[in-house]
Amino acid sequence: MSSDLTSFVALAPAYPELLLAIGAIILLMMGVFSNEKTGNTMIVGVAIGLLAVTAVLVAIHPAEGVLFNGAFIQDGFARFMKVLVLTGSAFALVLSVSTASDHNLNKFEYPVLVILASLGMLMMISANDLISLYIGLELQSLSLYVIAAFKRDSGRATEAGLKYFVLGALSSGMLLYGASMVYGFTGQTQLDEIAKVISLGEPSLGLIVGLVFLLAGLAFKISAVPFHMWTPDVYEGVPTPVTAFFASAPKVAAMALFIRVVFDTFEPIAKDWQQIVIFVSIASMVLAAFAAIGQKKLKRLIAYSSIGHVGFALVGLSAGSQTGVEGVSIYMAIYLTMTIGLFACILALRTDQGYVEDISDLAGIAQTRPFIASGIAIIMFSLIGLPPLAGFFAKWEVFLAAVEAQLFVLAVIGVLASAISAFYYLRVVRTMFFDEPNHQFIKTPNELNVVIALTAALIVTYGLTVGGFLKDVAGIAAGSLF
Amino acid sequence: MIPTQAQSFSMLLVAIAPFLTAFVAPLVKRFVPQHAGWVLALIPASIFAYIFSFIDLIAQGEKLRFALPWIPMLGIELSFYLDGLSLVFGLLISGIGTFIVIYSGGYLSGHQHLGRFYAFILMFMGSMLGLVLADNVITLFVFWELTSITSFLLIGFDHSRQASRRAAIQALVITGGGGLLLLAGLVLIGFSMGTLDISTMLQYPGFMAEHSAYLPVFILVLFGAITKSAQVPFHFWLPNAMEAPTPVSAFLHSATMVKAGVYLLARFNPILGGTIEWQVTLPILGGITLITGALLALRQTDMKQMLAYTTMASLGMLVMLIGAGSKEAILAAMLFLVAHSFYKGGLFMVVGAIDHETGTRDITEVSGIAKELPITFFGAALAAFSMAGLPISLGFFAKEEIYLIAKTFEWQHWLIAIVALVGNALMMAAGAAIAIKPFLGPRIATPKSPHEAPLSMLAGPAILAVLGIAAGVFIYQFGDWFFSPSASAVYNHKVSNHLGLHFDPIPLGLSIATWALGGLIHWKLETVRDILRRIARVWTWGPDQGFDQFMFGLVRFADWITRIIQHGRLELYLILVFVALAGAVYAPMVLTGSIPPMPDVLPQLRFQEWGVLLIAALGLLAVVFGRTRLVAIVSLGVQGFAVALIFLLLGAPDLGFTQFMVETLSVVILALVMTKLHLDQRDNRVFEEVIRDGGLALVCGIGLTMLLLAVLQTDLDTTLTEFFTKTSVPIAHGRNIVNVILVDYRAIDTLGEISVVMTAGIAILALIRIRAGGPKRGIGAIKKAVKRATSSARKTRSAS
Repeated sequence: MSSDLTSFVALAPAYPELLLAIGAIILLMMGVFSNEKTGNTMIVGVAIGLLAVTAVLVAIHPAEGVLFNGAFIQDGFARFMKVLVLTGSAFALVLSVSTASDHNLNKFEYPVLVILASLGMLMMISANDLISLYIGLELQSLSLYVIAAFKRDSGRATEAGLKYFVLGALSSGMLLYGASMVYGFTGQTQLDEIAKVISLGEPSLGLIVGLVFLLAGLAFKISAVPFHMWTPDVYEGVPTPVTAFFASAPKVAAMALFIRVVFDTFEPIAKDWQQIVIFVSIASMVLAAFAAIGQKKLKRLIAYSSIGHVGFALVGLSAGSQTGVEGVSIYMAIYLTMTIGLFACILALRTDQGYVEDISDLAGIAQTRPFIASGIAIIMFSLIGLPPLAGFFAKWEVFLAAVEAQLFVLAVIGVLASAISAFYYLRVVRTMFFDEPNHQFIKTPNELNVVIALTAALIVTYGLTVGGFLKDVAGIAAGSLF
Repeated sequence: MIPTQAQSFSMLLVAIAPFLTAFVAPLVKRFVPQHAGWVLALIPASIFAYIFSFIDLIAQGEKLRFALPWIPMLGIELSFYLDGLSLVFGLLISGIGTFIVIYSGGYLSGHQHLGRFYAFILMFMGSMLGLVLADNVITLFVFWELTSITSFLLIGFDHSRQASRRAAIQALVITGGGGLLLLAGLVLIGFSMGTLDISTMLQYPGFMAEHSAYLPVFILVLFGAITKSAQVPFHFWLPNAMEAPTPVSAFLHSATMVKAGVYLLARFNPILGGTIEWQVTLPILGGITLITGALLALRQTDMKQMLAYTTMASLGMLVMLIGAGSKEAILAAMLFLVAHSFYKGGLFMVVGAIDHETGTRDITEVSGIAKELPITFFGAALAAFSMAGLPISLGFFAKEEIYLIAKTFEWQHWLIAIVALVGNALMMAAGAAIAIKPFLGPRIATPKSPHEAPLSMLAGPAILAVLGIAAGVFIYQFGDWFFSPSASAVYNHKVSNHLGLHFDPIPLGLSIATWALGGLIHWKLETVRDILRRIARVWTWGPDQGFDQFMFGLVRFADWITRIIQHGRLELYLILVFVALAGAVYAPMVLTGSIPPMPDVLPQLRFQEWGVLLIAALGLLAVVFGRTRLVAIVSLGVQGFAVALIFLLLGAPDLGFTQFMVETLSVVILALVMTKLHLDQRDNRVFEEVIRDGGLALVCGIGLTMLLLAVLQTDLDTTLTEFFTKTSVPIAHGRNIVNVILVDYRAIDTLGEISVVMTAGIAILALIRIRAGGPKRGIGAIKKAVKRATSSARKTRSAS
């Protein structure tokens, strides 16, 4: 029995989580006792700081290891994904600073819930046991359910929250059922121990069913087809800063969990889950590409786009190789950057009547707001995967992994889906540049401009600046799983 | 010769400089508004001069590879490759580009977005230079797509018009989509050959032809090439792209961008060429494009459209020649390529000048303006001279070289020669029409009264036209410098320079036939046009409409998908989830072939067990068909009680009592919650929906039952069972193992469970204590309100 519960030093690998947990509690107390008017901004600020400090801690604090009787693992992969998640959450909060009051989000509970959700995500990423996996997932999910329905007086938001909750609970149930089957047929809950048992003999039917249910539950969390239905409704229904959060950090965390489960636990029966992942990947890419074309609402479009991008990321995963994991890691990092940038642009476009909702509201902003228009255009081109923008490298990595694994059909379908998806991204660009402006926009808050400039610069100069570094780090991260 | 680092860097600058210039172009425009074109043209001119300086080396058969590390960890180098082929293309792009930039200054003078236009056209030039100089296939692809994007921006430059927006999107979809297929092909080549560098690939000619991946590679690369180079059936974007300002049409859609596909085929000729697939597909595609384009050209009266279709025809000719693949054909392709760039670029600029000066470019509305525009006429006449292939222009030698193919007396080659003859004659007629009709003949009124175009708009056409003749006069020298090295690069073996006046009977005879036929068609142009138009009226469908239908179909399909899957109703989402669940349950059983046999227990059942089963089944039926919520909930309880009874009968009383407890609790909780919520108490589903939901539940239930049966047939892991049987008496002093587990081994778990149940109970208490009140909200209430409203409406209607 290790002494990690009694020794503070032995807890070193879990310091980031501890910091976040304690920070959340302190923030909650601060919120209760602070002045309602001035307190909110301060709490948001502190929350952003807390997330940022945690991210830095994860990045520079090299303590790695297994804690709590094997329930918690901190390794290179976990650290990479945690930095992404924390960055995503922090930026999602930054986006809400000056837009919160328009969306009824200016309550101190919001940043606290975001931190709690982030804590859940960190636990998911570090989960090394079916139980801790489920608890981390539920901490995240419950926080997200509340955040989704945060704007209580809005019918749309509560409907979205309820849908999210019902479908989410159902998927959690499926995940739990799968987990119990896996436990029943291996006698273990710890992920690496399960892998050892599986590698001993032929997988039994019960194990396969457990795997399928487990993956179905996880597919819901990354919103992959056929468990994607909640995504467009929820993205559209909840306030935009919340959508920004939903689209970024939780996706990364769930994908990390997905990767860890399939590679750590079910590595010996890779050919079984590869079939599932390939199916889900193709279904996501193709459905998203076609369904997005008919959308008129910007946020629904982004929802489908995110479904499609999950499909592309899964292309890398279905390769079942280290290169594949590396590709997915890079993909998630780039996807996160593009998502944050895109939502910063959307939140930056505010008229007297409110925020832009329809794609047609973007008409002609190239003339009225050239900076934001070029930001959106860069991100759209990057989402399509046009070189030399970052999005191209993301797709390049995953398709390369698929081709390496001889999955030519998958790669070709992916490229075709990507071509079809260009159709709806370009429609946005065309609307912005070629239509006549029909709205007057209010001045953009500075922090949004900074975020837009930052993400656009990263996307454009990816190959020259961060590309090499990211590739190295992702390589280390992927290496730690094998 | 291995280039130095400094030389590599300058070659990088060749591709980058236009981009850098593009950024400052709007500023230049602001500071020297009148002469910005002349100033900016210095950049392409100096690039031209720099590339020109390699001419001696290349002519001696050198191949230069300039490499700079770009993204080392991806193995992607920023490497450039200069041989005869890329040299010719580089010179064409930078040379004609120089004139185009100057020309734009005159053509668009006073346009409010002229600065932006310069920026776009310079960016395009950089992309195109990068494309032809790239050594790495990924670099090539990047620049390939950049040319598509810049072309999109340039076609849509006049974005207030619907037509140009449509054309821009169309061009981008076709060429960009082809580019993606090309990427797939290039990656596949890269994997098959183990290198991404074209220069390395070229050292292994014939490797791919033997490779198993040849066919997919060939198809993918072919799609890239024919979409870009406007081959049938992807040709329609090119004439539509004429919505762009004329300098763009002259530069992109005749001299350079559309030739990128030809460049690609030429570049990969040593790698992919020489196979049956290559030698059959390309000439057929090219030949069809040649004839189609030339015929469609004669149908038009808009001079720009005429030129667009003849461009398409010329591209067909080039593809056909590269496909033929013999030494003569390749040399002919290179000659024709350069000749075409000279005269077609010039003619486009001439048409632009006519349009600019007279206000129309319809060939029937302009006549006799030679006196007003003498220099333009001079340019047009010389260009048409070369286009007709009259001696001793460059076009003449190109045509002689094409007809040399026929000397082998093989039927395929004769066929190619005949197709080329017809195409040439048709194109000659179109070219002659543009050079003669507007300038000579009686003067008719035009929308604007014409003056000679400004110097900036004359320099290009005049110099290109003179070049077309001069290259013909000095054909041997030009052959040494350009045509022989470039043909050698495409052919991958030395193609010796035999250009000159030879008076070979077969080519000369075919040439004379071409002139005769061309002259005849030009003489009867009106009649030919009428016939073609009459055909066009009957034959209305074309790929252009097909593109629209495809796009429209895509949108409709998207709408349909959304309606089916994304309707916003939670109920149907849940159904979808359960369908997926059923799939997840059945698929592994079917795939692993472990569908369990039906256990043979029914005959063993006693009377009372049959009774209990019947109660359970009745309970379930009542759940599905019960019309109020309360009935459904209670019936669910009945079913649960029946299950508990079975436990009792099978000798597990403790389990039975637990089940009784749980069932009672859940019925109470459900009934309380459901009745306290402001939901409609009745089930509003129609019969079909009940059947659907019930059926789905049945399918899932049977699936799970089968799954459990299948699972029970495999051996359970008995480690735990053995542990408990061995230790429960000595350690925990209990004979009932279940009880021992609950109160001893997992005492804390049990405590936790009890606490959870208690907490849930408190929550229920809170629920009960909330007084039913407030406004009636909820799904059922709304339906009732609607019903009430409709019935009252009906009443009022019947009353009136």
